[in-house]
Amino acid sequence: MKVEGTYTLPASRQKVWELLNDPKVLAKATPGIKQLDPLGGDTYKATIEVGVGPVKGTYAGQVSIADKVPLERMTLKVEGGGKPGTIRATGELRLEEQDGKTIVAYTGDAHITGLIASVGHRLIGGVTKQMVGEFFKALENELKS
Amino acid sequence: MVISHALGARIKRREDPRLITGRAIYVDDLNFAGMVHVAIVRSPHAHATIRSIDTTAARRAPGVVAVWTGEDVKARCGPLPVGPRIKEMKAPKRFPLVIDGVVRHVGDPVAAVVATTMDAARDASDLVEVDYEPLPSVQDPEAALEPGAPILHQDLGTNVCFRMTYGGGNVEEAFAGADVVVKTRIVQQRLIPAAMETRGVVAQYKGGELTVWTSTQIPHVVKTTLAETVRLPEHEIHVIAPEVGGGFGSKLDVYGEEGLVAALALALGRPVKWIESRRENFIATIHGRGQIDYVELAAHHDGTVAGLRVRAIADLGAYSQLLTPGVPTNTGLMCCGCYRIPNAHAEVIGVFTNRTPTDAYRGAGRPEATFLIERAMDLLAAELKMDPVEVRRKNFIPPAAFPYKTPTGAVYDSGNYERALDKALERADYRALRDEQAKLRKQGRYLGIGIATYVEITGLGAVAGLSGGNWESATVRVEPTGKVTVLTGTSPHGQGEETTFAQIVSDRLGVPVEDVVVLHGDTRAVPHGVGTFGSRTTPVGGSAVYVAAEKVKDKAVQIAAHLLEAAPADISTDGARFTVRGSPERSVEFKDVARMAYKAYKLPAGMEPGLDVTHFFVPKERVFPFGTHLCVVEVDPDTGEVTFRRYIAVDDCGNILNPLLVAGQIHGGIVQGLAQAIYEGVTYDDEGQLLTGTFAEYVVPQATDVPAFELDHTVTPSPHNPLGAKGVGEAGTIGATPAVVNAILDALAPFGVKDLQMPITPRRVWEALEGNSASR
Amino acid sequence: MIPDRFEYVAPSSVAEAVGLLQRYGAEAKVLAGGHSLIPLMKLRLASPRYLVDINRIRGLAQLQEDDGTLGVGALTRHADLETSELIRSRYPLLADAARVIADPLVRNMGTLAGSLAHADPAGDWGAAMLAVRAQVVATGPRRDRTIPIDEFFVDTFTTTLGPDEIVSEIRVPKPSPRSGGAYLKVERKVGDFAIAAVGTYVVLDEKGACRQVGIGLCNVGATSLRAKRAEETLRGRVPDEKAIADAARAASEECDPASDLRGPAEYKRDLVRVLIGRALRRAVQRAKGGA
Repeated sequence: MKVEGTYTLPASRQKVWELLNDPKVLAKATPGIKQLDPLGGDTYKATIEVGVGPVKGTYAGQVSIADKVPLERMTLKVEGGGKPGTIRATGELRLEEQDGKTIVAYTGDAHITGLIASVGHRLIGGVTKQMVGEFFKALENELKS
Repeated sequence: MVISHALGARIKRREDPRLITGRAIYVDDLNFAGMVHVAIVRSPHAHATIRSIDTTAARRAPGVVAVWTGEDVKARCGPLPVGPRIKEMKAPKRFPLVIDGVVRHVGDPVAAVVATTMDAARDASDLVEVDYEPLPSVQDPEAALEPGAPILHQDLGTNVCFRMTYGGGNVEEAFAGADVVVKTRIVQQRLIPAAMETRGVVAQYKGGELTVWTSTQIPHVVKTTLAETVRLPEHEIHVIAPEVGGGFGSKLDVYGEEGLVAALALALGRPVKWIESRRENFIATIHGRGQIDYVELAAHHDGTVAGLRVRAIADLGAYSQLLTPGVPTNTGLMCCGCYRIPNAHAEVIGVFTNRTPTDAYRGAGRPEATFLIERAMDLLAAELKMDPVEVRRKNFIPPAAFPYKTPTGAVYDSGNYERALDKALERADYRALRDEQAKLRKQGRYLGIGIATYVEITGLGAVAGLSGGNWESATVRVEPTGKVTVLTGTSPHGQGEETTFAQIVSDRLGVPVEDVVVLHGDTRAVPHGVGTFGSRTTPVGGSAVYVAAEKVKDKAVQIAAHLLEAAPADISTDGARFTVRGSPERSVEFKDVARMAYKAYKLPAGMEPGLDVTHFFVPKERVFPFGTHLCVVEVDPDTGEVTFRRYIAVDDCGNILNPLLVAGQIHGGIVQGLAQAIYEGVTYDDEGQLLTGTFAEYVVPQATDVPAFELDHTVTPSPHNPLGAKGVGEAGTIGATPAVVNAILDALAPFGVKDLQMPITPRRVWEALEGNSASR
Repeated sequence: MIPDRFEYVAPSSVAEAVGLLQRYGAEAKVLAGGHSLIPLMKLRLASPRYLVDINRIRGLAQLQEDDGTLGVGALTRHADLETSELIRSRYPLLADAARVIADPLVRNMGTLAGSLAHADPAGDWGAAMLAVRAQVVATGPRRDRTIPIDEFFVDTFTTTLGPDEIVSEIRVPKPSPRSGGAYLKVERKVGDFAIAAVGTYVVLDEKGACRQVGIGLCNVGATSLRAKRAEETLRGRVPDEKAIADAARAASEECDPASDLRGPAEYKRDLVRVLIGRALRRAVQRAKGGA
């Protein structure tokens, strides 16, 4: 399951970079994250609740940030397991500044096991798109606040 | 053979009233006091090492009686044996639960939770914490052959389970001297058997006897295997296959759950039930097909085939089940089809992959064989610009050539392939169809006519390369009142033998069909048996009934002659009475003969009492049904949809015992065959997750999705059994898939489309036509 | 296939049902036909703590015209629409759609209102209701809200319905003179979710130009979609082949399908183009009095 695209945020690269490295913001912006506890370095213990309408699943796992090149790029990794199976996702974010705005180019890859993979297949694509959209929208709101 | 009042008659299935009024008893209908229920925890990973399993929370959950992991099973249970082996085969034995710490497919069982209710077991199963270390997995059987591919069974050191070759003649020379060579690569996608009833097991240990009720096609094989697995003497084990809601080969296996539930019943001292959920059925019950076939056909300009080369790579999945290697080897054996191909070579390679194991599924290797040769014949016809009918006609094995031995080693018993083809063409009005096709093409409509002429193999285990267990048993017992009880070692699960076997006995003894009852599927009632699979029930099991009934009749005639003080040769019978020829006043009723057989005070000297014969029928040879299927479709090039216009099937299964049941078998078979062509296909992602995990994604057709079938027959009796019958349970499936695919490709010929991957869904048609300006 | 533990409640009035929803909030789900919800529960993908079964509430199964609209009750089944003479004679789009939803067993139980509330992008009624510009009547603790269908769908499985509201009725505008509609679906087999499906509704003026156009799309986005640009392309124009082709192309561009087992996104876009063309032709033909 792969996603890619770009999103333009109305702020400088510096500002966006700071946001992305703030665990509080990350916890707020990443859809479904209920709790984020630092485990040291850029790794956090996470409780993730993914819900689409009546379909809900709770996953326990880790969120980590890797391959950081300040102001340029980072990789966001999410790994978790729960009743409906496991999720392992990586998303690479590349930042570019243009006229005071920051264009974030993202490519993501998610591996999903268990029930969701085999039953939810027809919805996973749409839901992933939806969640990526929510993530950036939340970042945008964060910038406004 | 004479078709009597009983044999060959259109008698409705005696099984149906109880089935359609909901009175049949299936495994899940069984409930016993104190019964506990099992839920199985299964791997969500295609390949992983189990680091640890924590069952603490599950054990504490309400209602939980026991939680077993692989270690618990190992302490109480032996491994499941691998089925009959073919030479130089490498495959491990398995335990009912994973015990060597490695899961090898999504659905591999890792723990069993036992609780007082099914709900409690299900709830607690979520509390079993399994810590997995995922391993690289291999999904594609060709990738599994590559050096450096992840190895499933480390101790074997290879993913190759076996390699077999079939063939004869000089293939190299034939190809070198041929005018044309056509080639194709065929992917036989995996299919989910999807029997209406999922698997289920109930076991109870009581009074020194272990009774196991299981939804199986082979109760006697289960009994023998369980003796080894649960370490009880075989005579203390009683296996019952109650009503079985379909199998299609998926219940032609001894599964770990059968051993597990039996072992739990022994250990807990309580009745234990496990009912497979539909989701488990999709990941833990065998899949069918799963083969990649490289096919090359060499021919001369006039259409005469000179040689055939096949390389079949079989996706065995993670383990070898009961008959797994027998499936692709059937493909090697049968790949020459109905044609006189002097030079043929087939290499068959069985490969382990991190997927659900495959095994026999309706047709078991013969659909794959028929498909590859029938596609190749159509490709040849297109290459030579010949009518596909004429290419086939040119190469048929002629009627005078039977018995005919193919270069791959099959010996066909009897056949007249052209007669079946002609009958189908006549019924379809083939020339008129071709005219209509030409006319419609001018209007931008795309009609396709597909033909498949098949020959298949029935009547033994139907498993090439394996040996043994080819007989079937029957007991015909005339009770003292003249009513007849038949015990058959076959284990019908939808085939209708309670009807056809009663017809055989009625025909032989002359008693009314209603006076005959047929019992099956109970190892205490039926002393020995092999089971129902490979279209063997009628030619082998039915022949056993036939011979046993003949022997009963001989004895009854002797008793009657003795009572009437006449020579046995002078006795005639209409079933109700035995009469001395020429003296109608000297007669005795059948039921009086039966009574005397047991009263036994007036029997011929030296005769044993009773009127009860058991016969083990051992067929001399396999039998080879054949036929022609012709399918007409229309393809919408804009949406990619395929619509059926007509479907004609002319099948030859030798003598027909009951036309209604034959039609039923062919209807069901065609539906499953055309399902493979355009509807059904298992899809995994590249990490071994099953994406077609429910009926919402795995597309099984319903009545509205299939055409009306026009059936006809030719009758070429088999010389190898007294009924002259050939099996018919799989023929429809074998003929249908290539007929439908050939029809679709015939429709798309104007677009230059030569091959399409099954299932040919609307998207695949669209993708094939995309960018083709003629379609836009 | 055993659901999680849940509490079952069967209120006998809408007010009582709303009261239960108020009490249990997001923990509760309304059960109408159940043919979407129950399978999710059996797989434990959805585990509501309370199931509020509205099937015992009387007077919710209406299907009748009044005040310029067709009222479809919360318990009116797909099969009721499929077999209604009123629907067959006056609402061809609805009649077409009712015939292709799932299979007869599902149609006997499933409801139009439940289908909309479930908000599965593959639900056929969403696209059909967008095309005819229906309104959803939501009953909650305060007075009824009438929600235009365009404001109803938020995202996959998500609507603007509050946790304490139930869909009590769907209101479909009565057909105008010289109007026609059609619903077309391509599916892998009968009863499957659509690969793509489209609903079209046109009202012609006296000169034969499109006075009103409604186009709804099924299973080519995160929700049921209205093909706004396609509608605009056609509005005011005589629906000749050129105009229809322009609208079809616009719809195929503005839809947003995801690639899945049913096919790649490009295929679904092209299917939308083909189906819109066919469905518009049929709607226009019907508007002109054809069958």
